[in-house]
Amino acid sequence: MKLSTKGRYSLQTLVFLATCTENCSIRKISEATGISSGYLEQLMIPLRHAGLVEADRGVLGGYRLAREGITCHDVLAASEGDFNPAPCKECAKTGKCKTHQIWSLMQNAVVDFSKEVTIEELADKLVDSGTGGGV
Amino acid sequence: MKISTRGRYGLRLLVDIAEHGESGPIALSVVAKRQNLSEKYLQQVALLLTRGGFLSSVKGSGGGYLLKQQSEEIKIYDVLDLLEGSITFEEEVEGESAIEQVIRLHFYRPLDEQVARAFEGLTLADVTQAAWFTYVI
Repeated sequence: MKLSTKGRYSLQTLVFLATCTENCSIRKISEATGISSGYLEQLMIPLRHAGLVEADRGVLGGYRLAREGITCHDVLAASEGDFNPAPCKECAKTGKCKTHQIWSLMQNAVVDFSKEVTIEELADKLVDSGTGGGV
Repeated sequence: MKISTRGRYGLRLLVDIAEHGESGPIALSVVAKRQNLSEKYLQQVALLLTRGGFLSSVKGSGGGYLLKQQSEEIKIYDVLDLLEGSITFEEEVEGESAIEQVIRLHFYRPLDEQVARAFEGLTLADVTQAAWFTYVI
């Protein structure tokens, strides 16, 4: 079981943005993360729709985080479309299926924990490590 | 992220065999009918579970599959780990960037630990016995 590339890349993008003090161009994010500009443009669409990033046009344009306190769950819910590891949301047997309980257990562990970790926390760790981060 | 069809089918197969296999081996055709799952697909999953040491197969007429261990000894976490290839989020990539490393060490790794803790001590027997329902929810 793995996150999609979209989910992983979106997390990386937001962690980098959180280390930047001003708007960040796609090119700069691309240099920092190694993700291609074209792919970054695509990643930004659901992130903008979900109100996690904002963009300005023009010379000083670029992307920035739209708010504080964004969690890993916010990012994954936006980028993965439906961040729902348990497979049986709409299954008719939910009430009596014994394996359903296992999937709920899995789902709760993953969702609860990813709501606890914020992008800023990860960005702080990145800055502390002295190896990366934006302006 | 999604649990695979293999994970879902595999678990239902094990639960079915645990519940019905006391008097002898269970044929996959019977499980397929009872669980409304494809027998062809169950064959593949049964092979994987046999290789993984959770099932043993009995050949011949009246043959089928049995649990290889007591259901009290079969850990759900181990079953999922086998069926899903790996149940963990952490993976080390070659030439990892500083950002990737931070996310791996401070999100994926503790996330994996959280999942492992959630499943700690949970066995196939807990799932087949209704008692489990009451203490999980």
